[in-house]
Amino acid sequence: MNVQKITDTPLNFAEEIINDIKSSKEDGILKCVQCGMCTSTCPAAKQSDYNPRDIIERVLQGDEDLIEDDVIWNCFYCYTCHSICPVGNSVCEVNQILKQFAIAKGVADDKIYDYLGFADSYYNSAIGAIPSKFYPEIKEDVEGWWEFRQNLGKIREELGLDALTPPKDVIDEVSLILTNCGFKERIDKVRNNDEL
Amino acid sequence: MKQIPDKDILLFKSCLVSVEYPGIESSTKFVFDKLGIDYEISPQQTCCTGLGHYSDIFDQFTTTTLGARNFRIAQSIDRPNLVMMCATCYAINKKVANILNNKDEVRERVNDVFKESDLDYLVYEKDSTRSSENIFHVVDILYNKRDEIAKHVKYDLSDFRIATHHGCHYCKVHYDDTIGGFRNPQILDELIEFCGCSTIGFYDHKRTTCGSGFRQRYSNKDLSLKVTEDKLMALKEDKVDILVHLCPNCHVQFDRYQNLISENTGEDFDIIHLNIAQFMAIVFGADFNSVVGTQAHTVPIESKIDNLKEVD
Repeated sequence: MNVQKITDTPLNFAEEIINDIKSSKEDGILKCVQCGMCTSTCPAAKQSDYNPRDIIERVLQGDEDLIEDDVIWNCFYCYTCHSICPVGNSVCEVNQILKQFAIAKGVADDKIYDYLGFADSYYNSAIGAIPSKFYPEIKEDVEGWWEFRQNLGKIREELGLDALTPPKDVIDEVSLILTNCGFKERIDKVRNNDEL
Repeated sequence: MKQIPDKDILLFKSCLVSVEYPGIESSTKFVFDKLGIDYEISPQQTCCTGLGHYSDIFDQFTTTTLGARNFRIAQSIDRPNLVMMCATCYAINKKVANILNNKDEVRERVNDVFKESDLDYLVYEKDSTRSSENIFHVVDILYNKRDEIAKHVKYDLSDFRIATHHGCHYCKVHYDDTIGGFRNPQILDELIEFCGCSTIGFYDHKRTTCGSGFRQRYSNKDLSLKVTEDKLMALKEDKVDILVHLCPNCHVQFDRYQNLISENTGEDFDIIHLNIAQFMAIVFGADFNSVVGTQAHTVPIESKIDNLKEVD
């Protein structure tokens, strides 16, 4: 008789995800019954090869190649799977963690390079908003948007709103915090790797 | 239902509201003033990092540290209740509070960063900002004042076909705190009814994401716009005139990209998009240019609402 021995080894990958700072569902992954509710309600699964049920199956099998699989980058972060899972798992959160693993491993620089503008904008003006890198495309896609953005200051004034960005001392304070968090190092690494 | 404050509120600035639909902020202030909400906006508060966070560029530790700073800013001006105009700010800040209060090791690391930066005044004390007790969305505050809405209603918008789009990061992330349900979300529909109008209620794709998907809109545009198109088709079938939002990111997705989706698909979509605070401000009689901020919209609000009828 063939006996398949179940060892704990494949669960190391799941445990690593469960112990991540982002994880809020404790051992939700381990309770997954592969029912597929996540996949049947997922907008990315409807429109692409992304399959959240399969993501959890692979995590439970200890398949760490998942980190380098492009498919994880199709998740919308809409949290539908998270809100609907009958055992309290969250593929959406697992996905975010997998991407952070990919970034830490240095295999996702090309995926986040275009978004460095968010970091630069936080350093320069303590505000997120849409990186200027995307402006030309938005300008082409959305008629009148560029003209509106040119008038933003005037419109904000008409609406009686305060300055768009915080005062300089606040920007300096959060810049220092960003650096001491290790964020600057993270960003510099992505930028250097991609510009090599 | 959870306890909802009407005072000691820090109205939390949102990056997307600030740069894309600033009229959401002026409308929220207008409506809050009418309803007697005690709030303040602080120039010390900085962005929640949300768009960068969900584009995977900001890591959770950095977002948590900046969030802890904002909580301390709110506490330092005796406004411990943080109220969000954006669903992303709402979900981000609630998660930050949960991490700071429940993950002792992370809180200690965050406080070490503050001490190392000579910013000891920011050191965060466990449970000083709680997700369910201190962090709200504007819709929660409006819902709490629902019985006082009717007396401020000046204009009648009940002839329009109105539908609602409930942002995923309000409904689905911290769903135990969502007022009005998250499987068939109702809070916007109820608020609109208190304004003397009715909505179409449930429709196909009501609970589906706007399609922005944060990075998807830029890195995977076809995928992103396909999801938005499905929702627009459902709304068109129901002959909707006005879609009411609670999140500026969804608002961008629909208002900025509706014409492009029309061009790409050959389907004519003519829905106008208003945040619930803008909708309520219009109903309460606010000026379009100096309060509602309709000049920021891509689909002109005047294409549907061209003359206002006073209520009887």
